[in-house]
Amino acid sequence: MATLRRLRETPQHFLSCVMSSFHDPRPRHRHFVETHYYNYKVSFLIPECALLPKELKSLVTELGPYYLVKNLPLHEFITPEFINTFVKKGSCYALTYNTNIDEDNTVALLPNGKLILSLDKDTYEETGLEGHPSKYSGRKSMRFSAAESSLMSYFSNYHIQEHQPRVSGSSLGELPCPVLQSDYIAGLPGVLCGAPELFEWLGAVCSNVDQNNEPHNFISTYCCPQPNTALAKAYLCSITGFLLPEKICLLLERLRHYFDEPKLAPWLTLSVHSFADSPVAWREKEHGFHKGGEHIYNFVIFNNQDYWLQLAVGANDDCFL
Amino acid sequence: MEFEESWSQRIMRIDPSDYHYMKVCLEFEEHGIGLNAAQFKQLLVSALQELFGEVGAALPFDVLTYEEKTLKAILRVCNSGFVKLWSSLTMLGSYKGNKCAFRVIQVSPFLLALSGNSRELVLD
Repeated sequence: MATLRRLRETPQHFLSCVMSSFHDPRPRHRHFVETHYYNYKVSFLIPECALLPKELKSLVTELGPYYLVKNLPLHEFITPEFINTFVKKGSCYALTYNTNIDEDNTVALLPNGKLILSLDKDTYEETGLEGHPSKYSGRKSMRFSAAESSLMSYFSNYHIQEHQPRVSGSSLGELPCPVLQSDYIAGLPGVLCGAPELFEWLGAVCSNVDQNNEPHNFISTYCCPQPNTALAKAYLCSITGFLLPEKICLLLERLRHYFDEPKLAPWLTLSVHSFADSPVAWREKEHGFHKGGEHIYNFVIFNNQDYWLQLAVGANDDCFL
Repeated sequence: MEFEESWSQRIMRIDPSDYHYMKVCLEFEEHGIGLNAAQFKQLLVSALQELFGEVGAALPFDVLTYEEKTLKAILRVCNSGFVKLWSSLTMLGSYKGNKCAFRVIQVSPFLLALSGNSRELVLD
């Protein structure tokens, strides 16, 4: 019976929400973003806005490039030439492509020069390296990001391809949205929605879920959290690829300054999805894949420069906010 | 867990979501078979009934999105019914005599996670 009960349980997950202000002299938001190394998707939602604002246009198209190098032997990372050319200059990131952290060997190069190897038992024993067991129980293709033209010439003996992040934007019509106030991160029953309700609603918007269902509807009963208000329009932009924390920091700053001039929007959001198969999520904290490898953070930026920061992680992750 | 104490406000929820979300795709052995949203939902209800009987068929779940062209959908189910629904999808083998199978592409307790799946990144 205990086994049956255990099989029926859903994996544990965590959602942490904190509040602060951009006027805080300690730039914790910047440090947080800069230490999330492997970012797959960034999206931002601006209520009461139909088009991509001018001040964001150029930045959104300059978040790349990144490089795919096929059949790269790992020993290339520990050559003195590579270390002097890229690692010592900082801001070199690499991650194996098309490897599943729960099944395959995975490698990541952090910008501080550390090489993280997540290996299965046989490979670990073959390497003869000293390590420790994963908390959560190759010649490979690698994704890279570093100084542009130097990577192309350094790995010219291998098959290297340059890629640009994919950008997509859409203007959303009328949609309901939760009523928020920056001081009330947990909401106020009957008056304000809190951060968890906002987080779920944001998922519905990004997945294009219909939010105007009746309770007796056969297909779906999902509706916007209460209390809610109607937005006349909103702009949703998504960028996918191998995205650097430094660029995401810039984007965050530009979004924060969106409210330098009066706007109809009371707030906007910036969400970042990590790679599901990176061996580390934040700093050097181990990341795993249980039934999913979700590791998402989301900023809700208010027009008074307060912000909420939300971190959602699955079973095989540490929650640290 | 590691916390920084100096945030103005913090709320921390363990297992905050009452629901799990599933991104699934229905594949038929033969091409050209279509279902509308209502038929798709009915198919899932039948799958639950086949495996778990009338009580299983009464499990409430929502088809949040459905693409008729690709037969892809996002489902929402309460946590207590998650394993039942997933196992029903696994065991479903046919629809109106046509062989088919469900592919579970992604699952998460967070709906936002389903809009970004790095395993779908194709570079070659």
